[in-house]
Amino acid sequence: MSVRGWIGWTAATLVVALAVHFASMWYLPRLVMSRALAQMGAVNTIHHGKRADASAHGVVRPSPDLLYSVCPFDLSRAALRVTAPVPRGTYWSVSMFDDATNNFFVLNDAHANGAVDFIVVPADWEKPMPYRLVRSPSVRGLVVFRTLINDERNLAAIDAARRKAKCAPL
Amino acid sequence: MSLFLKSLATLILGTVLGLAMTWAVVFRGDMPGGIADGAWHTNLAVGSAGGDMRTRAAVALHGLLALNRSETIYYTAMTDDSGARLDGGCAYRIAGRDPDTRWWSITAYGADDYLIANPANRYSISKNSVMRDADGGFDAEVSAASRASNWIPVARAPFSLTLRLYNPAPRVAADPVHAVLPKIEKVSCG
Repeated sequence: MSVRGWIGWTAATLVVALAVHFASMWYLPRLVMSRALAQMGAVNTIHHGKRADASAHGVVRPSPDLLYSVCPFDLSRAALRVTAPVPRGTYWSVSMFDDATNNFFVLNDAHANGAVDFIVVPADWEKPMPYRLVRSPSVRGLVVFRTLINDERNLAAIDAARRKAKCAPL
Repeated sequence: MSLFLKSLATLILGTVLGLAMTWAVVFRGDMPGGIADGAWHTNLAVGSAGGDMRTRAAVALHGLLALNRSETIYYTAMTDDSGARLDGGCAYRIAGRDPDTRWWSITAYGADDYLIANPANRYSISKNSVMRDADGGFDAEVSAASRASNWIPVARAPFSLTLRLYNPAPRVAADPVHAVLPKIEKVSCG
């Protein structure tokens, strides 16, 4: 092959490499989220995880001081209603993540006024609803509830309180 | 070589090279956009939808489901204050006062980013569990050897620490690089 030929094929290889590099970096968060959602169980229902210990190999770097409840959602057929009384006397938050791992919503106990009741809808949702709407940038995603175990002696009560959270298709 | 074979070789080589680049910058490289406060590192892009493609990929891998920094700031230490890699073959002293936040915890993780198995089933110290000195400060130990209180057990292997600040004070959230955080000092090895 001529020198010009080698330069041409080398340049073509580099173009392919850059395209694959950027495409794989774009895809990676989506792959990570897709795998995380798949292992969390059925969509549009809540799953109350047990307290994280050394056997917890789901999401990386879990906190052993928090109780996590998750609701993987799929808004392709219906909106999702999320309701929860806010456990008293400890840190509590509800947050939402899109299918590329971005945190697009968070509300904690200090700002929830005792309870939450809202509807998660796709970003292009137009139908008026008599509820507080939260628009998700993606059809699939995740709602995460965090409840702090601020006193080991109250673990049973804190666990019971966080289990009152619910999510279901509307 | 035929044109077909040359094209195939270009595609295969380019794909391998592109994936290797991604592996090098996302899996092996440091997280972009990071800032340091002593040995404690954090990334302002964690929990937000901002940041470039590389940052987003790194956050997805290392900080999945992390919250934004007005809600929680996550600092990670891979080294002690002298810059030496944290390793369970050594014992470390974590000393300081409560950070300016509603609640905090310091948790140890193995090289696989999961909690480290130990007979005591202890993984962290926190605002609620730490024992304080008379002056309000605390002095904790991270080591493989057992200690009665203020102890975060680790295995005799490299580990890292995560400091979580839940609902940090507004000035901490606005300027996380100058937050007053606990020191991490090596005590002894072997």
